[in-house]
Amino acid sequence: MIDDDRKQRLLAAMAEAGIDMLLVYGNAWQGDYLRYATDFSALEGQALALVRSDGHVTLYLDSPLEVDRAEIDCPDLEIVYAQNLIAEVDGALDRFRNQRIGSAPGRLIPRRLAARAKDLNLSDHTAFLDRLLMHKLDSEIAAMRRAAKLADDGYAVFREAARVGRADYELIAEIEAFFRANGVDHNFQIIGVGGPEVRGMAPPSGKKLKRGDMVTTELTPRVDGYYAQICRTLVVGESNAEQRKAHALWLESMEAGIAVVRDGVTAADIARAENDVFRAHGLGEYTTSEYTRVRGHGLGLFVDTKPHILEDVTTRIDAGMTLIVHPNTYHPVVGYMVLGDSLVVTKDGCEVVTATPRELFSVPV
Amino acid sequence: MRRGLMGWDEAELPKSVLEARLKLLQDAMAHLGLEALILYTNLVRPAAVCWLTGFTPYWIESLLLVPARGRPMLATALSKRVADWIKTTAWLDEIVNTPRPGTAIGERIARLWRVGVLELDAMPAGLYDDIVAAAPKVQLLDDPGMFWLVRGSVDDAERRLIEKADALAAAALAQVDASATDAGTLAGLVEKHARLAGAEEAYIATAPDLDLDRRLIQVSGLVPLARRFAVRASIAYKGAWVRRTRSFARDPQGARAIASADAWLTELASSINARDPLAGQIGWKGPVLLRAAEVHSRGWMAESCKGSYPLEVVESSRSPSREGPPGTYLVLSVDLTVDDVPWLGAAPVFVRAST
Repeated sequence: MIDDDRKQRLLAAMAEAGIDMLLVYGNAWQGDYLRYATDFSALEGQALALVRSDGHVTLYLDSPLEVDRAEIDCPDLEIVYAQNLIAEVDGALDRFRNQRIGSAPGRLIPRRLAARAKDLNLSDHTAFLDRLLMHKLDSEIAAMRRAAKLADDGYAVFREAARVGRADYELIAEIEAFFRANGVDHNFQIIGVGGPEVRGMAPPSGKKLKRGDMVTTELTPRVDGYYAQICRTLVVGESNAEQRKAHALWLESMEAGIAVVRDGVTAADIARAENDVFRAHGLGEYTTSEYTRVRGHGLGLFVDTKPHILEDVTTRIDAGMTLIVHPNTYHPVVGYMVLGDSLVVTKDGCEVVTATPRELFSVPV
Repeated sequence: MRRGLMGWDEAELPKSVLEARLKLLQDAMAHLGLEALILYTNLVRPAAVCWLTGFTPYWIESLLLVPARGRPMLATALSKRVADWIKTTAWLDEIVNTPRPGTAIGERIARLWRVGVLELDAMPAGLYDDIVAAAPKVQLLDDPGMFWLVRGSVDDAERRLIEKADALAAAALAQVDASATDAGTLAGLVEKHARLAGAEEAYIATAPDLDLDRRLIQVSGLVPLARRFAVRASIAYKGAWVRRTRSFARDPQGARAIASADAWLTELASSINARDPLAGQIGWKGPVLLRAAEVHSRGWMAESCKGSYPLEVVESSRSPSREGPPGTYLVLSVDLTVDDVPWLGAAPVFVRAST
């Protein structure tokens, strides 16, 4: 069981760090710290959990709907319905005044609780949990592999759904139905439809697909809590020479980035390898924050977990990390283009877990 | 994250409506002597900012600064590459894209004295620290009742959006066949139908075996459905949220009881008035409208939008009020046993004026 593996590791790490208790926050946006500590992913409302060094976990939820779900999904936890969540946890923390309490993620802990840091001997332990989140156990990597398989399958559904006249949100509706039927409880997905006017991806806006459009998507199913991502671009109808030329550059860049990945390099090394390809083709400016956010990122219990693959991020890449390498950015002639594969870092390189061909796909008109 | 249709349609949410809401809020702020008000938003707590601007972040978090006079300013951690997208989803004149929204807001209020923060206790510590670092002299305070007082009555535009969301939920649940055998596939079907019709968000929950357990959970993958089950569709359309729950049975006794309870809920939902306590209205109408041999109420819950949550519990059978229902829009969820048949139902309610 992944949950048991994680819990053992967490308790051992807490003991090593001298923490008596961990206060963890989570919601449907940033739920990885909470999921690591409780195996619960919040959907509505907010959640706080207290993890004691003896392994007892109390999960406080402010939605009665979520309480029902948590009681069934996480029967080993003490679940508390707290309509006034922060006041309830504030009161609970009073009972542990003489203990050393760590919290994570520090920036999201509700202000009222964070304001009592001195009084409660509460200290920010975000980095402590970040290390656990980044370095995966074998069971975590296995879950991520399952998610990668469903990302491949989901992209096949996406391609099948992409036809002239269909709206962008209809494509996502098809995928979500497939995912619900196949064990994916959540999916992070953004989309772009059009040509040079498209500078990024966002949720669907109702654009209808037409001949010649490039359709970009970043599809990220979650299986047993773990996300894997695939980024691909397709063209409605036959791709043109400029689109194919641009895609060849993206492919060269992604493969250059993946070729660098191994235990001991830095996130910056990977980003530099990707960006050097763009620079060599005179497109270096399109690797800046003006046009792109990151050149890849960690994957795990959060879609966009650390480390971010950027030239100024010096985080060491270790075996057991899971990443996506994606040189997604804007191309001045054809528009925003994406290509990315998920992978597991190994001692000597990496294992790419995305199986979908690295093609610029075309769908029939 | 949000991954359904997102977009601002001025025909659905006219600028004049947003202006009227802003004026109501600014009048209330003036009454309390507030020089500005800060509203937090993320995809879990989008309702306050959405009510004022139409904006819901699909991802990350943002702060809206409402000045004493004039239009609000959004400071968002979403990158500036999506600023144009934001403008397609909301009426916002000024958007500051920054990795530190708290700092941007703090710098803007640094010369003020009294600034309100909706749900100050819940403000993420990182944002709060940034605001205070940039505006150390400002007094930040929360008056929980003010926003609810202003926002408690839904206007016509919001009512139409809620009705649209409800139509999506009802149509999606109409896809459910009592003979369905797999909860994951069924959840996918309901969600797909809602999203194809333009839902911004769809959370589908199922109680796969009502006779065994009435709790509704998120289901994906192969989970067998028993002869009696229930499905809840929580649907958002352009920031307006509803829930509908329906129960289903393959056996004739179950189907009869469920039909009877469904009819009761429909009647009840259209007749809730603002004057009488909610508990009394639910309890009093039950025996009259439900022509079953035996009815046991196991509990009920009323949700509404008070602040940043789209829906939160405002009253329940555990904590009933002696006054009329809070606000003019509720989602009512009820748990009954009708002739030994378990039944769950939920529906939106527009509270009738007590004239």
